[in-house]
Amino acid sequence: MATGADPTSVEITTTELESVLKSHEGERGALIPILQEFQERIGYLPKPLLREIGERMKIPYSEIAGVVSFYSFFSTVPRGEHTVRTCLGTACYVRGGKEVLASLEKNLGITVGDTTGDRQYSLEVGRCFGACGLAPVVVVDDDVHQRVKPAKIPELLAQYKEAQDEE
Amino acid sequence: MKSKRIKSLKELEAIRSARKSELENKKKRVYLCSGGSCVSSGSDAIRRALEGALSEAELEVEIVETGCMGPCASGPLLRVEPGGVLYRNLTPQDANSIVHGHLGKGKIETGRLFDGAGNKKAKNIEEIPFFQGQQRLVLRNCGIIDPLRIEDYIALDGYSGMARALTELKPLELIALVERSGLKGRGGAGFPTFLKWRLTAESQGEEKFVLCNADEGDPGAFMDRSLLEGDPHSVIEGMALAAYAVGAQEGFVYVRAEYPLAVERLQKAIYAAEAAGLLGDKILGTDFSFRLGIRRGSGAFVCGEETALIHSIEGSRGEPRPRPPFPAQSGLWGKPTLLNNVETYGSVSYIVAKGAESYATLGTEDSKGTKVFALAGAVENTGLVEVPIGTSLGELIYDIGGGIKDGKEFKAAQIGGPSGGCIPREYLNVPLDYKSLQELGAIMGSGGLIVMDDDTCMVDVARFFLEFVQEESCGKCAPCRVGTKRMLEILDRICNGEGEMEDLDRLEALGQEIRDTALCGLGQTAPNPVLSTLRHFRKEYEEHIRDHHCAAGVCPGLVRAPCQSACPAGVDVPGFVSLVGEKRYAEALRLHRERNPFAAVCARVCFHTCEEKCRRASLDEAVSIRAIKRFMVDQEIVVQLPESRENEVNASRKIGIVGGGPAGLSCGYFLARLGYRPVVFEALPRPGGMLVQAIPEYRLPRETLAREIRMIERLGVEIRTEQKLGRDFTLEGLKNEGYDALFMGVGAAACVGLEVPGAEGAGIAEAGEFLRQYNVRGSVPVGKEVIVVGGGNAAVDAARTALRLGSKVTILYRRTREQMPAYAEEIEEALHEGVELLTLTQPEEVLRDDKGNITSVRCRPLSLGDFDRSGRRRPRPGEGALFDLPADQVIVAIGQRLDLGAVGGNGQSAGDMQAEELERNDAGFIYADPVTGQTSVSWIYAGGDAVNGPSSVVEAIAAGERAAYGIDLMLTGEDHAFWRDEIVVDTAFDPDADPVPYPRELMPTVPVERRRHNFDEVELSWCEAVALRQARRCLRCDYGKCGAREVHHA
Repeated sequence: MATGADPTSVEITTTELESVLKSHEGERGALIPILQEFQERIGYLPKPLLREIGERMKIPYSEIAGVVSFYSFFSTVPRGEHTVRTCLGTACYVRGGKEVLASLEKNLGITVGDTTGDRQYSLEVGRCFGACGLAPVVVVDDDVHQRVKPAKIPELLAQYKEAQDEE
Repeated sequence: MKSKRIKSLKELEAIRSARKSELENKKKRVYLCSGGSCVSSGSDAIRRALEGALSEAELEVEIVETGCMGPCASGPLLRVEPGGVLYRNLTPQDANSIVHGHLGKGKIETGRLFDGAGNKKAKNIEEIPFFQGQQRLVLRNCGIIDPLRIEDYIALDGYSGMARALTELKPLELIALVERSGLKGRGGAGFPTFLKWRLTAESQGEEKFVLCNADEGDPGAFMDRSLLEGDPHSVIEGMALAAYAVGAQEGFVYVRAEYPLAVERLQKAIYAAEAAGLLGDKILGTDFSFRLGIRRGSGAFVCGEETALIHSIEGSRGEPRPRPPFPAQSGLWGKPTLLNNVETYGSVSYIVAKGAESYATLGTEDSKGTKVFALAGAVENTGLVEVPIGTSLGELIYDIGGGIKDGKEFKAAQIGGPSGGCIPREYLNVPLDYKSLQELGAIMGSGGLIVMDDDTCMVDVARFFLEFVQEESCGKCAPCRVGTKRMLEILDRICNGEGEMEDLDRLEALGQEIRDTALCGLGQTAPNPVLSTLRHFRKEYEEHIRDHHCAAGVCPGLVRAPCQSACPAGVDVPGFVSLVGEKRYAEALRLHRERNPFAAVCARVCFHTCEEKCRRASLDEAVSIRAIKRFMVDQEIVVQLPESRENEVNASRKIGIVGGGPAGLSCGYFLARLGYRPVVFEALPRPGGMLVQAIPEYRLPRETLAREIRMIERLGVEIRTEQKLGRDFTLEGLKNEGYDALFMGVGAAACVGLEVPGAEGAGIAEAGEFLRQYNVRGSVPVGKEVIVVGGGNAAVDAARTALRLGSKVTILYRRTREQMPAYAEEIEEALHEGVELLTLTQPEEVLRDDKGNITSVRCRPLSLGDFDRSGRRRPRPGEGALFDLPADQVIVAIGQRLDLGAVGGNGQSAGDMQAEELERNDAGFIYADPVTGQTSVSWIYAGGDAVNGPSSVVEAIAAGERAAYGIDLMLTGEDHAFWRDEIVVDTAFDPDADPVPYPRELMPTVPVERRRHNFDEVELSWCEAVALRQARRCLRCDYGKCGAREVHHA
C-alpha cells in the first residue's frame, strides 16, 4: 500500500460540487452517475466528499458507502497517476495473462490492488476489455496494449515514465 | 451533421436517396477500421499517415472511419472502395504506399492483402475465407459505414423499418412480426423475444421502460461492444421499435465501464438521432415519443443479471432479487420494463427493415436467424463473426477461424463465459444452436467463444471461472457466496496436487446444489464450467489427483518446468540442458539417465513434446532440446551409469520381462537399479524391439542402440534372445518356474491389412514386416515403383528405406499432410530425399496383370468433410476422377494391432491360462493400471505399445519405469523409486539477466545427394560452441523450484 499519500491534496470546491449536483437535478437514480463523475475527476472518492453528497442528496451515508463498496470502479483511497490493468478474462487468461501479471508485479514491485510508493502506478486486474482478439492485453489508463509479452513489460511501462519526464 | 428535424417518411426517404447516390458515385474512398481492437493496433497512426500521404500526392480521397470490420487479429485494417480491397496488418509506411500505389496509380499493393483460397492473395473481401460462410445481418453496417454519420446509416435503409412501423403497423402487429422472425434473446438464455415484448405490452401502466443490456461482462465476448461502436443507430432504432411495441416512453442503455469508446459513440449517435427527430418527442411527426439515456456500469459483473441491472440504474447496489415479479410486470422504479441485449436490438432493426420472413429462412428449425460470435483464444483469425445459427463449431473454428494457432491441436472451445461450458474435440460437428449446446453442458450465452489448444489445462480453466464467479458474486445468497468458495477451495487443492478422488464427487454434488438453489442466473450457472469440464475432461482431473501431473504444463503446484511435465518419462530437461551449458556433460547425461536410460536413442528418435511446451517459444522459438541432447550423448566417452542400489533380497527374486523393446528394457533397467536381476525374453536374435526392427539405421545407428542396451545389461539385466512367447516358453511355465512377477512389453507389431480388391498376394508388403526384414536381415524384396499407403512413422520409414534401396516411392495418405501422424521433420526429410507425397488420396483397387503382378494402384481423390471424434476432418470421396498410379509393390502402413499370438487369445497359445486371462482395454490392447502397470492378473504387469497401441519410444520408456515401480511396490510393499526424487542441480542462473538473444538452430544434416543411397545417419551433431549457445537459450522455468516437492506417486 502506498504510504505518505495525502488525501487532502485533491480538493473539490463547493462550487464544483454544486455544479455537478445541479447538472443531475431532478434525475432519478443520479447517485451513481454523480459518483462516477467525481471518481473520474479526482481519481478516488474521499470520505468527506461522500458525506457531503449524502447530506445534499438526502441519502444516508451508509447507503452511499454501500454503493461505493459494491462497485469495483469506485475507490476510497487515492490511486496512482496511471492505472495499469492486466486483463484476466478468459481469452487473456489462456493466452498467458497470468504471466503478464506476474511480470507487472515484479517490475512495479507491488501486488494487485496496490499503488507504487511514488504514486505513479496502481495495479489492478480487469475481467475482459473486449479486446479478446488481441489477447493478452494490458490497459494503462485508456490505452489498450495488445499481445503483451511478459518480457516486454519494462518497455511498456517505460512509455509512461518518459511521458512524465517530458512534462 | 444535418440538424434539421425529419418530420415525415418522405423527408427520410429524400435524405436516404440523396446520400445513397452520393455514396454510390465511383469516387475512391478509404475505409479505415476504428473498432476498439484496431485502435489499439495503431489505426490512429494509419489515419495520420493516410492524411499526410494524400495531401502530399494531392489526391482528394475521403477517409471514412468505420466500426469493427471483424478480423481483429489482422488489424489495423483498411478497405479501398470501389473494389472492396481489404488490407491487413498495416504500418504507416504501408498506408503511404497504398496512397501512392493503389489510390494514385490504381495498382493494388499485394504485400498486405489477405490470403485467399489456395496460395493466392485475396483481391477483394469476397475472396477472404474469413468472410465466406458468414452472413452479416446484425453486423451489416459494422465496418461498412461511419458510425457517427446518421445519414450513412439512413442511406443503407436505416430508420426505414422504424418509419414504416410507426406509420403502418399497430404495436401488436409489430410484435407479431417479431414473432414470425423467430428471434430469441441473444444475451444468453434464448427466451423468445416476441414473448417478452408481448408480456410487457400487456402489463398495465402509464409509464413503461425499455432497457438495453450492454453490460457485456462475459469475458471473451465483445460483440455488444463492437456493435455499439460500429453501428450504434441500429441499436437505437431497435430500442425505439421495442418502445413503440410495448408502449414505453423512456429507455436506458446500460453500458459497462470498461467500454469508454462505446459510450462515447453511442452518446454521439443519440444526440444525432435527437437532432434529426428520430428520438425524442413526436418522432417523424407521429404521436410516438421516446427518450433514450445512457447509464454506465461501475465494474460489477452481476449487473448483467436483469434485476441487478435495474437496481444499478436506480442508483443502488447491483444485487439481484428473486423473480417473479418479472421486470415485464415490475421493473425499473416498479414500472413494467422490457430488457433485451444489444445484439437482440440490432437484430430487431434488421428484421423490421428487411422482413421477418427472410430472416427466418436462416438458422435451424427452432433457432432462427444468425448469431454473432466473438472468436478468441488459440485460433488463427480472432475476431467477430456472424453465422447462421446451426453452423457447426468445426466450421467456425477451421473455415472461418483459419484453424488453431501455431499448428497446435484443438483441445476445447469454451462457449458462454462463466455460465457456459467447454466442448471437446469429439464434438466439433455440434451445430451452434441453443439446444445442441445445452445438451453438451454448454450454453450459447452471449456468444463468446474461446478456442483452447493443448497448452490449456482444463482443471485450471474451471478454477479460473470459479475464481471469477467467486470474485464477482454479489454475496446476497449463500449458495453462490459460500458454495462457489468451497468449490474453488477444492479446485485449488487439486491444482496444487493435494486433491483426492472423492473431491470429484464433492464438486459434482456441490455444483448440483448451487444450480438448484442460487438466487439468480449468475449463481445458478456458476458451477457449469466445473461440471462441463468434469464431464468431458474427467481424465485430466484424475491425472492431477492421482499422478500429480498436469499434462498441459500449467498448474504451478504440479509443474516444475513445462518441458519436464510434457516429457512422458519426466526427464529433468532444464537440469541437463543447463549442465550442458556449463560443459558438465557427464553429469548432464547421468541426470538424464535418472529417468530415461535411452539418452542416445531419444536424442535421435524422440518426438520431443518437451519442445512443444517450451516457454521460450513465447519469446522467439523453442529451445532445441533434442539437438542439445544429441550433442550431450556424443560427448560420452566412458559409459555413464546412474546410481543403483544393491539388494540381496531383491536379487534373489525372479522377475521376467517378455519383449526386449524400449518398454521391457527400461523396466529391466529400473528394476536392476533397485537390485533386482530381471531376465528379458526377446523373440528375435537382437534385442531392441521396434528400435531395432522398425526404426531405420539412418535415424538410429545400430551401435548407438547396442551401446545403451549393453549399459542396461551391465547393470544386471539378463537378455535371452530367440525366446518367443508361445513357442519357446509360456507364461504358465514361467509361473511354475517360480517367477514372482512378469512384465509384458510385447508391442503391437501386427499390421492391419489393406481391404481393397487385389490387396492379397504377391507384391503386397506390410510396413512393419518390410522394415523388420530389412533391419534385421539386411535385405528385403523391393519394387522399382513403390506405393506406400499410410501416414504414420512406419509409412515414412518404409518409404525412405525403399528409396534408399533404389525405388521410386510415393506415399498415399487419405487426410492432409498436417494431419499425418508421422513426425513433421521426418516427412520433411522424406520429401527432401525425393519421396512423393499424395495426400487426400485413397487406394481403391490394386491392379494386376495376367501373371498376377501388380501394375498400378487405382486411386480416388478425397476431400475433407465433417469432423470425426479425433477432431480431424473426415475424408470423403472428392470431385476428381479416379486415376491409376503405376506401381509394382504396395507397402501397407495403415495401423497396428496387438499380435494376438504373442499373448494368446486366438488359440495359438492354447493352454496358457495366464495369457488368456489378461483383460483388454477399450481399444483391444492389454489393460494396465495407469499408476503401477499392473494387469488384471496380479503378478503380470504390462506397458508400451501392447497397452497404448502404437505410441512413442519415450511413452514406452515411461511405461517400463512405472511397471518397475509397481512390481517393486507389490513385492516389497514400499515405494523405493528413488530416481523420482528431484535432484538439486547447482548450475548458475541469473533470473534478472535478459535472455540470451541467439535464435534457435536446428541440427545439421547430411546433404540429400550423399544420403539417398545409403543408410548412414542423416543428422549430424553440432560443434561445441553452437551447443553451448543453444543450451543457454533455456529460460530456466525450473529456477527456484528445485526440490519444491518430492514426486512420490504412492
